[in-house]
Order: sequence, then C-alpha cells, then structure tokens
Amino acid sequence: MAVALESAPQRWDSPFDPDMTDEEVSDLLNTSAFMTVDRDLFPTHTPLEGILKNDTRIVNFLAGDIVVREGDYGNSAFIVLEGSLRVFVGNEGPEGLLGRQSINKRGVFSALSQLFSNSHIPEVRDTRNYGTQNLREGRQDSDAARVFVQDIPAVLDEFRTAILEEGAVFGELAALGRIPRTATIFSETDSVLLEIRWQGLRELRKYNEEFRRQIDTRYRENALKVHLRETPLFTGLEDDVLEQLVTATLFETYGAFDWHISYQKMRSAGRSGPEHEVPIAREGEYADGLLLIRAGFARVSVNYGKSNRTVAYLGAGQYYGLRALYDSWHSGTDVVLGSSLTALGYVDVLRVPAPILEEHVFPNIASRPPTFASLDDRSISDDSLLEWSVEERFINGTQAMLIDLNRCVRCDDCVRACASTHGGNPRFVRHGKTFDHWMVANACMHCADPVCMIGCPTGAIHRSQVGGIVIINDDTCIGCGTCANSCPYNNIRLVDVRSRDGSLVLNPNTQLPIQKATKCDLCATNPGGPACVRACPHGALSRVDFQPETLAEDSP
Amino acid sequence: MVSRLRTGFVWVTALIIFGFLFYEARRASVSLESAEVVTGWCLLCLMVFLALFNIRKKLSMLPIGKAETWLLFHTAGGVLVTAVYWLHVGNLWPLGLYEQLLALLIYATVLTGVFGYVIQRTYPKRLTQTGVEVIYERIPREVSELRDQAEDLVLECTEKTESETLGRHYVDTLAWYFQRPRFFSHHVFGSQHGRQWLRQQDSAVRRYLSDDEKVYLDQLIELAEYKNGLDTHYVYQGVMKGWLLIHVPLTVALLVTSVWHILLVHIYAL
Repeated sequence: MAVALESAPQRWDSPFDPDMTDEEVSDLLNTSAFMTVDRDLFPTHTPLEGILKNDTRIVNFLAGDIVVREGDYGNSAFIVLEGSLRVFVGNEGPEGLLGRQSINKRGVFSALSQLFSNSHIPEVRDTRNYGTQNLREGRQDSDAARVFVQDIPAVLDEFRTAILEEGAVFGELAALGRIPRTATIFSETDSVLLEIRWQGLRELRKYNEEFRRQIDTRYRENALKVHLRETPLFTGLEDDVLEQLVTATLFETYGAFDWHISYQKMRSAGRSGPEHEVPIAREGEYADGLLLIRAGFARVSVNYGKSNRTVAYLGAGQYYGLRALYDSWHSGTDVVLGSSLTALGYVDVLRVPAPILEEHVFPNIASRPPTFASLDDRSISDDSLLEWSVEERFINGTQAMLIDLNRCVRCDDCVRACASTHGGNPRFVRHGKTFDHWMVANACMHCADPVCMIGCPTGAIHRSQVGGIVIINDDTCIGCGTCANSCPYNNIRLVDVRSRDGSLVLNPNTQLPIQKATKCDLCATNPGGPACVRACPHGALSRVDFQPETLAEDSP
Repeated sequence: MVSRLRTGFVWVTALIIFGFLFYEARRASVSLESAEVVTGWCLLCLMVFLALFNIRKKLSMLPIGKAETWLLFHTAGGVLVTAVYWLHVGNLWPLGLYEQLLALLIYATVLTGVFGYVIQRTYPKRLTQTGVEVIYERIPREVSELRDQAEDLVLECTEKTESETLGRHYVDTLAWYFQRPRFFSHHVFGSQHGRQWLRQQDSAVRRYLSDDEKVYLDQLIELAEYKNGLDTHYVYQGVMKGWLLIHVPLTVALLVTSVWHILLVHIYAL
C-alpha cells in the first residue's frame, strides 16, 4: 500500500524509520491495535497509514533487553506486537540492573587522594570497568547498544513484576506529558514492539477517539487526582468535589516535544519573543478555564509597544487565568485576560473549566487574586534580566552556574577546583552568555526539563535518585552524542577517552577512539557539594535555581 | 556572598586579638618581661595561617570552608600581621641588618597583598564595562583572528575600490595595533588612551576616503574597538594573575627568614 500525499506533514520528510515498508504498514493495520481504528476519522493530509509509515518503527528486542527505565525521559510509546515483557511493580526498584551510576560519597581521605591520583593526561579512564556492564549490541545495525537483564528467572524471583503481552500499550503518558517514565520494563522473551514517536502519538490521540479515551482514563486514574490535590488552590476541597474536578479537567499540549531543535532554529534565524511561540491564551480574550501547567514552561506577556513584554514565566504546578475568571464571577460580567500565555517549548496544560471553579472554589477565596501584569512600578530595565533569562531558556536550569562578572577576577580557581575533583578534567567552561554583569557559564544546569535525557539508548544519562541531579554513567555511555546534540545550551561535551599510559582507547570493532559524554555532575561523589562554588574567593560564582517557585505565591 | 555579620565578626575578632596582644605587651613591659616572645610567636602563627590560604586553593576537593571565607580571614589576618609586627618590633623600621631584611619582606608582602586586594575590587568592574568577555588564554588567538579579518577587509577594500589609501594607512599605523595587545601601561591605570588613539587614526584618514572606502573604515574601526576590549582584558587579567607571582614567593621568603630569625633568637638571645 503506497502512501502518496500532496501536503504531508513536514516531519514526514524525515521518517522515524526510513526503512519502514508499505507491507509492514499493511501488516500493522491488521494487528489488534489498529484493526478496529476508524481510518475515516483521520484527515486526508494525516492518514493513519501515513502515521504508521512515518511516525513509527518496528523494534526487535532480545530476551532480557530493557525497553524503558523508570525515571528516563522518552519521546515515544510502545505497542507490543509479539512476545512478552515484564514491568517491575511495587516500590523496590531494580536499580542495580539499569546501567546507572550509584553515587557513593567519598570520605575525606578518599577525596584527598585525588591530589595524587589525578592524571596530567586528559580523560584517563580505568578501562577495566568497560565491558563489565550489562551492555550488548542491538539486533540491527541501526540499533544502539542496550542494557539487558542477564538472569531473567532470578530477577523474576527477586522482584515483583507484571506481564505485558501482545497489544499492550505503554510509555504514552510519559511521552505525551513529558514526565519521567514511571516504571521499568524489560523483554521477557524475544519480542517485537511498535515504537510510536510523540508526533504520531499526538495525531493518534487527536483523531482516534478510543485511543484518546484510553490515555485520558489512564491519566485521570493514575495521576490527575494527586496532581490537583497538590495544587494549593484545591487543597481544601472535599473528595467528591475533587472527583468532579478530575472528570471535568481537559488535557492539552502545546509546542514541540523536541523544542530544543525548533528553538535553535528560531534563534539561528534571528527570531525571538512570544510572537514566535505557540499561543495558549491571548490577551483580550475571554477565559473559559483555569490553565494549570503540568509540565514545561510558559511565558506570560503583555502587549507593549510593537512587541510583547514578558511579565513572568510559569512552570509545573503554577496556574494562569485565575484573576480574570474570578473577576468575571465576582462582577457577573465577562472580563478579558490581561496578558497572553505562550508555550516556551513543550507545555502540558490542564484546563479546569470555569463553572466548576465558580461553584466550588471561588466562594472560598477571601480576596481578589493578584495579577501578573502590574507594570506600573516596573520599568523595562527592571524586567530586562527576566526577559533575557526567558529568551535564552535559562529558566530551565535548577543549578545554573551564574557568575557575577563585577566580582569575578577571572582567576579560574573554579575551573581548577572542578578539574581537581574530576580526575584532572574540568567539567565546564568558564564562558557563556552574558547579560549586564551576569554570565551563565557553560556548565550543566541540571534542567527541570532535561531534553538531554531524551533518546539515550542505554539510559547512561539519568537523574540521580537522591537530589535529582542529571548524571552520566561513564561505564554505560556509548558516546553516541544524542545528549550532547540535544542540550540546547551546549553544556555536554564528547571526549576521546585514554588509558593510563595516555593512548586512546579504541573500539575493537571499528578501531575508532571511544568517546564518552561528559558534563558537570555537581561533584556528586565529593564531600561538601560543588567544588566550583566553594573555590571562588570572591563569592562571584553561585549555582542558581531559575525555577519560578517564588512566583507561585503571587500566581493569579 | 559573605554576610556583613560574618565580615564584622572576623574584623572584631582581629581587633580583639590585637587588643589582647597589646595588653599583654604592655603588661610584660611593666613587669620587665619579654613581650617579644608572645608577639613573635603570634606573628609566626598568623603568617603560617595566611600562607595556608594558598594551600586551601589546592585542596578544593575537601570540605574545608569556602574560599571566600578564607579570603576574609586572610585579609583581616594580613592587617593584623602588620599591626602585630609593629607591636613586636616596637617601631616602623628595625636597626639590625637581618631584621631590616625581615621588615622589607613583610612590608613587600603586605603591600603586594594590598595591591592585589585593590585590583581585585576594581578591575572586574572595568572588565565588565568593556562589553567583551574572553578567557585569558584565548586572547592571542582572538587577536590573531581579528588581524586576519582586518587584513582581509583592507585587501577587499583595495580590490573593490581600486584605491590604496586605506591599505596604506593600515600598513602605516593599524597593522602595528593589530599585531599584538597594545597600550599595556595605559590600560593598567585605566586610561582610555587606546580608544583615543583609534579615534585619531580614524579621523586622520577619513577625510581622504571615498564613501565606499568609509564603509570599510567603519568596519575596520569596529574590529579595532573590539581589539581594544581584548587589550583591556589582556592587561587586567594578566595583572590579576601576575601579582600572585610576586606575593606568593615573597610569602615563602618571609616564612623562611622568619623561621631562621626564631632559631637565631632562641639560640643566642634567650
């Protein structure tokens, strides 16, 4: 079955799997997952066949291969076509099996020993660690190496697991909501899975009622109630009211999942500002519901001169539109929004309809909610730092390295301190974008939305369980460069590793140097926290959390 | 940033230590005892403590306090050392030759310390004001790249406009400027001579250029102004790195001569 379209989506110029054949698409349409799907509901420019041909790929897993890991970020979901998989359930996780790095804090003497053990040769590794990890090549040439479970019966004995068989769908909530995967799944037998990238998932959800209902129901059952209860606005509500809220809430997503790519394109084209971002709500329009940010970031801006002026940015857990909704309810007249909301990359939004707020929430609010858009006492200069940090997307950083250039004497003590705690190799560059007397240096910011973690084939880059910092397991990193290419801030570097005698470590198959991704790990294994901060004699360097929690209390 | 409270605490502590030593010296003087032993040993302890700051920089992997706090102690300690030295010697300049060598070393160490303190509080702001941010080690490469760009620009101007006026001016004056960092001594004292020199070169040649050539001159001056920023960084960053090459060896020399002084005193004087 050939798929020929006149106006296919642009993303189909680069199919998920260029080798996907029409015969495979035809076979997929006959599987239980798609057999009952009404193809007529899909528009002519985005037919189901086109989605399957361009937004999916068939992936083979060997028995034991880990398919997804708890805590990973992924931009795709899976449907089991053949074989059986196991999902770990319960609290006890198989951390040791996931190819992740366990953080063991050094003692004082161990830390001190680095003085003598650090090498003058760059990027020296103890290559004895390589190959001892549960890593094996993918089945096809295009597949990257995978981490696998060696002794499946022992794992099944030790951990509680549930079985996933043909037709099972998993990974869709994480892919659509841009939230970490909530479970680890491995292939119990040799299996064949259909992997659907997020764009295709979004289309399937949009045009396939059954699929949408399935996803929404699962989200409502699993996470929405908890999320709403944790929202300060709804904390005092009775259970039955909260149930109504859960039922009435709508899910929306804005912006591209791989926003870092579109952002980089936008910047290289010289475009910036909210007028180039996906609108979520517009100034002057009527609000029909409260918008709760579930994941990602959104910019609040107001029309100003010939452009838009940023007045705030919102992150997960914050909300927008309360003031206008409250005023409408209080005055009995329609009040328009005083600002616009646009997506800064990918934003997952929950829309709580106005009527339910008017019935259950507003009567409990003692005073009129404040507004973002009070610019009377703020000049453009006052907001320019905010505008810059939003424009450069530094708002993503939870541990951004901020240097006060008016205090920094450029002595590089911070760089030397970093090197002294990382085998003689600094993990950041004391250089970066500047604004006024501030510089955000090229050091990993341990982002709230870590796009670098998307697509790591071995899960080598991951969030640590303690502290939530983003770290790379050097032993399972295969140097594919996915993370380095994804980082919008160029804070990850690929290095050629060397053995103790200074010679390059070569891949035995290709005879090419083995590369590893490196970046700041906040001195996770070192006592006392980031050495760079402690090493600055002038207090010029600090690690800054750009998250807008402080705004939460002022949110309208 | 070290809090004002902590800063105040450190300075008050230094004052109290000095007060105690002053009292002890007076008491010893009245009792016909030797106050120099107490003040001398205190002086040595203080100097060793000050020197430890440099060791701390090498031990960044250990949780032994922020370098910023250490610097605060180092600064207060440096002032205290000077005061205790005067208390120990009893005047500003001693009579013995070896003691004069010690005095020279201590004054030189303190003065270089004060110099470092002052430049570290004034130069960073001036560097920020240049609008340029560059890593010191990269400056020669940046200058080289700028020179290449400037030369390409001049060659292009000569080819396109078929006039060698700007090219001639470049060879006569600006080529010297782009060759390496210039106006070192002027930059050290914050003088704007480099910029003024550029303006002079600009106005000197502009009247002889056609409109097309003026466009090239504007671009050339833009490169030259960026180079002026690089020069400023080269000088300021160089000075901020270089002063330690005097301060640290002086400290080592001071400690060595002080230890020898103590040995001599204990062998012959006590």
